[in-house]
Amino acid sequence: MPSMSTWALFCLLGRVSRICTGPQGLQTRTLLSPGMAATVVQVAGRKDCPALLPLNENELEEQFVKGHGPGGQATNKTSNCVVLKHVPSGIVVKCHQTRSMDHNRKLARKILQEKVDVFYNGENSSVNKEKREAEKKKQARKKRAKETLEKKRLFKKLWESSKNITEKITDSESPKRFPE
Amino acid sequence: MALWGQSLWVLLSGPRGKRGAIWSWALSSCSSLIGLVSATGLVSHWTEVFKKRGIPEARESSEYIVAHVLGSKTFQSLKPVLWTQPLTPKQLQYIQELCSRRLQRMPVQYILGEWDFRGLSLKMVPPVFIPRPETEELVEWVLEEVAQRSYAVGAQDGPLILDVGCGSGAIALSLLSQLPKSQVIAVDKEEAAISLTHENAQRLQLQDRIRIIPLDVTLEGSWAHLLPWGPVDWMVSNPPYIFHKDMEQLAPEILSYEDPVALDGGKEGMDIIAHILTLAPKLLNASGSIFLEVDPRHPELVRSWLQSQPNLHLNLVAVRRDFCGRPRFLHIQKSSP
Repeated sequence: MPSMSTWALFCLLGRVSRICTGPQGLQTRTLLSPGMAATVVQVAGRKDCPALLPLNENELEEQFVKGHGPGGQATNKTSNCVVLKHVPSGIVVKCHQTRSMDHNRKLARKILQEKVDVFYNGENSSVNKEKREAEKKKQARKKRAKETLEKKRLFKKLWESSKNITEKITDSESPKRFPE
Repeated sequence: MALWGQSLWVLLSGPRGKRGAIWSWALSSCSSLIGLVSATGLVSHWTEVFKKRGIPEARESSEYIVAHVLGSKTFQSLKPVLWTQPLTPKQLQYIQELCSRRLQRMPVQYILGEWDFRGLSLKMVPPVFIPRPETEELVEWVLEEVAQRSYAVGAQDGPLILDVGCGSGAIALSLLSQLPKSQVIAVDKEEAAISLTHENAQRLQLQDRIRIIPLDVTLEGSWAHLLPWGPVDWMVSNPPYIFHKDMEQLAPEILSYEDPVALDGGKEGMDIIAHILTLAPKLLNASGSIFLEVDPRHPELVRSWLQSQPNLHLNLVAVRRDFCGRPRFLHIQKSSP
């Protein structure tokens, strides 16, 4: 059953991703082992959401700016745009968000991973699941807020009416003035 | 500028006479002028200027400069709303200044006075060598190896790493920031590099775990100055590795602004590499490793050089390619005598 094997895979990923230390708050691209050639991108901050399906580096084609010259010390270029293609699905992402080539490569992988997830899993992709979760939470919050408001209104009503009753009782307790 | 003033006057004083015609003329002049003084307009304008003057990376240069003036690291990460807003005269003036430096072939990194390396923002000052994107991968390799080694041996106090030829501090500081328990000794023969590494270490609050020492590794006996800190676990370097005969072919950006001493590796680009490898056995722990960035012709040259120096007991264990597929990085390991 697909969900069983997927869950097993998530467990495996969970174990492996704990082995690889990485900076908090930043996606970590880690080679699982020399033999596996798979890339795990640990998405920071999503503790309750299982990791996205990993991208296999062998299925990726990466392109950088053409005309990089001899490279290394002999070249000083500032264009570090990364174009990353997932060959099986044909999805291409382009990343030039940062001034760091290394970061652009990692970001491109993260974005591609999410797009590939949506491509294959559609409704069930992590991205869409999260959106639904967020929407659910939002609706729940709205509902609670509404209920709280109702309770406050009810309380106020009761308070007002109990005040009136108290006043009436106080009036009746005071010595009646009988017309002489 | 006169046209700009005139358009403003028409707008401010209100349309007259043939209302429709003057109003729409004023508006279209203004909007095209506003187009010129918006972020996107300026990038287009300066891209054209740079292209006409044969400045390489015309578009990238103008994008980085305009983004920088607007407070962003890249044009792509600038808020879209800023793309079309008119810039202030002060901003326009600043862009003009920076772009005129680009017209003098000054590298963008020196123009901005800063650049990123593996996400760390580092101050850049000529003539201290500007970190190259390839070197980010050298650090990546070192981090992978360190992780493997510490996993195998069990968590310990962080490794002690020696960075030879630290320049702006890129390698040293990125390692420190990713290895919270590590300590780094960073050396360079140039005072400007020592001073810049200090400054960058302070900016990143990493000064407590780095020792920055002026040192020329090619001088006889210089290594003795490092002994007090004990044997190191790893040596990392992006040493000057350009073949001397190739120096004159370098772009004006490099030749006119960066320190040639940081680039020229001598006859076969091997001079400083050879010195580092000669020192390594004296400075490294048992089974310590050296990671070098080199010219693509060096893997074979280094292999044969090491074979000619059996007394060093060093082995070339791996060669790694850079993002352009060129053999760029060497892993050399100390074996027991």
